[in-house]
Amino acid sequence: MENELFMNAGVSHASEMTSLSSSTSPAMLNWASMETHQVEQSITRDVPRDCFYFEKSTEQSIFGSAPSSHVSSSPTPLNSNFSGGGGAGENYVIRELVGNLGYVGDIYGAPPASIGNSSGSCYATPMMSSPPLDAFSGDSRFAERAARFSCLGNRSFNGRGAETVPINGELTRVSSTSALKPPPAANRPVNLPGKEKLNPRSVLIPQLPHLLIYQRKLKRRKIRIRREVETQKKMERKRNHLIHTKILSMSGLDEAKPPIVTVSPNESVRREKISERMKLLQDLVPGCNKVTGKALMLDEIINYVQSLQRQVEFLSMKLSSVNTRLDFNMDALMSKDIFPSSNNQQVLRLESSSDILLADHHCHTLQLNPNDSSNNIMNPMETSESRSFNSQLPTLAHFTDSISQFSTFPGDDLHSIIHMGFAQNHISESNQVHSTSFQGPSNQVPSHMKAEL
Amino acid sequence: MASANKPINTDVPEKDVFALHFLQSLSNLRRQNTFNSPEKTNDRVKKIKKVAYVSMARAAGGTNRLWSRALLRRAAKENNKVVRFPRRKKRVTCLRRRRSNRRDPVEEEEAERLRNLVPGGGGMEISKLMEETAHYIKCLSMQVKVMQCLVDGLAPK
Repeated sequence: MENELFMNAGVSHASEMTSLSSSTSPAMLNWASMETHQVEQSITRDVPRDCFYFEKSTEQSIFGSAPSSHVSSSPTPLNSNFSGGGGAGENYVIRELVGNLGYVGDIYGAPPASIGNSSGSCYATPMMSSPPLDAFSGDSRFAERAARFSCLGNRSFNGRGAETVPINGELTRVSSTSALKPPPAANRPVNLPGKEKLNPRSVLIPQLPHLLIYQRKLKRRKIRIRREVETQKKMERKRNHLIHTKILSMSGLDEAKPPIVTVSPNESVRREKISERMKLLQDLVPGCNKVTGKALMLDEIINYVQSLQRQVEFLSMKLSSVNTRLDFNMDALMSKDIFPSSNNQQVLRLESSSDILLADHHCHTLQLNPNDSSNNIMNPMETSESRSFNSQLPTLAHFTDSISQFSTFPGDDLHSIIHMGFAQNHISESNQVHSTSFQGPSNQVPSHMKAEL
Repeated sequence: MASANKPINTDVPEKDVFALHFLQSLSNLRRQNTFNSPEKTNDRVKKIKKVAYVSMARAAGGTNRLWSRALLRRAAKENNKVVRFPRRKKRVTCLRRRRSNRRDPVEEEEAERLRNLVPGGGGMEISKLMEETAHYIKCLSMQVKVMQCLVDGLAPK
């Protein structure tokens, strides 16, 4: 059904086609710069092949009139958002557009898994604002697409009118009404947290043809996120996006938000509380000083929490890769690096000790104490530690002598191992456990530790 | 409602405590025989992440914080263990009222997202939620620092 419609539309604009296809707008150039094979792959994945050539002509006509004029008005966001690959002919570009066309329609119907709900809902929002489209039962998808193109065009002209897509009269009228309404901005920032670089407002016009690029970007980003990603860059991206979405939300919300009248006296107290906590959060989240307003603040906070969580995930990935290669010699080096401040010497000791344990493959015997499941490792330390806990300095001196004998460790490490700053309360271990723990790393240690303890 | 509120306590323990718990659980993990197989990287990553969060929860608040409680409960449920937290005497406040005009839709939307992010945020009101978020952010950043140091230390020179 859609194909037929496209065909009909395409026939009327066949003449336009050729003229427009020859025009090289910066957008087209950008599209052309994409990697072709990937484009083709994505197209084949997403859209059935038979639609391609039918829609090709209409695509060109639709886009010819609409984007060519206004694409030039916004070349910079296009340029900034596309990472070019190898050169490609325009034909590939058009096929992409076609693929996008089919894809976008699918998005309106049901967001496909590959692009995810985020982009689907984002793109769906402009369509939500056009109720007359629902009337097109059979042609809903086509209507949506067509209206969308005109919407895109209209928005670029700041609602100049439905001059862009003369597919048929009804559609243009529909599209003009939809275009004149500002996009419901409230939905927009929610759906693309940290993942999209194309901010909706500035890239609104060529959104559709570059959907494919965007899809690919999304997929790539998802993969990248699963692998190791620089979290700092992520935060930067998020901030940029956030700023854009905030502009959106601010502009969109001002008209829609009704004034809130507080009636009860508790209200003021609550608001005070909330604002107080907001201030607290503002101090915590870096870079929040400029942002004012609850909604924006909350946005910022949410993004920060998300970024922190991603950082944890990323670091855990790194840790897992490092963990397998834990070498004993590294631990000695590590203990010095870790917490440089003197206050954290305890952690230093902790780090070195547990890493020694970690590295020690012979150390399985450590777990022989069934009493304490979670504190197994630390307990051997803690037995000595608890004894020496109260008076660290004399014991420090006491142990230093013994430690100096051990060549494998630098002096800091061992006595730092011994002097754990924060002992758990379990002192149920015997010295044997303690001694066996050091059998691997150094042969000299256990005997000596035994003697000491 | 009394206007005098006691200051919000969002103290977070030192890095050492975090490091202690984390390394404890890490070494526990490591001792599992299947842990170091190179094939199951994803599993390992997930385990480490879970361990990180759990140790953070244990270190940071124990059971004093709602989010840590929720985290620990969630983790325990995964292991089919039942975690019992000591019943805390709830402060009698009139914050139970949900239906009021204080919930403007925009704020609520954001609050909803925050609730999804912060563990245990499902039933909380905005003010309480923000308090929890503040503490959670502090603990998360601490955890990140600890892990970063670990990774830097353990990375091959």
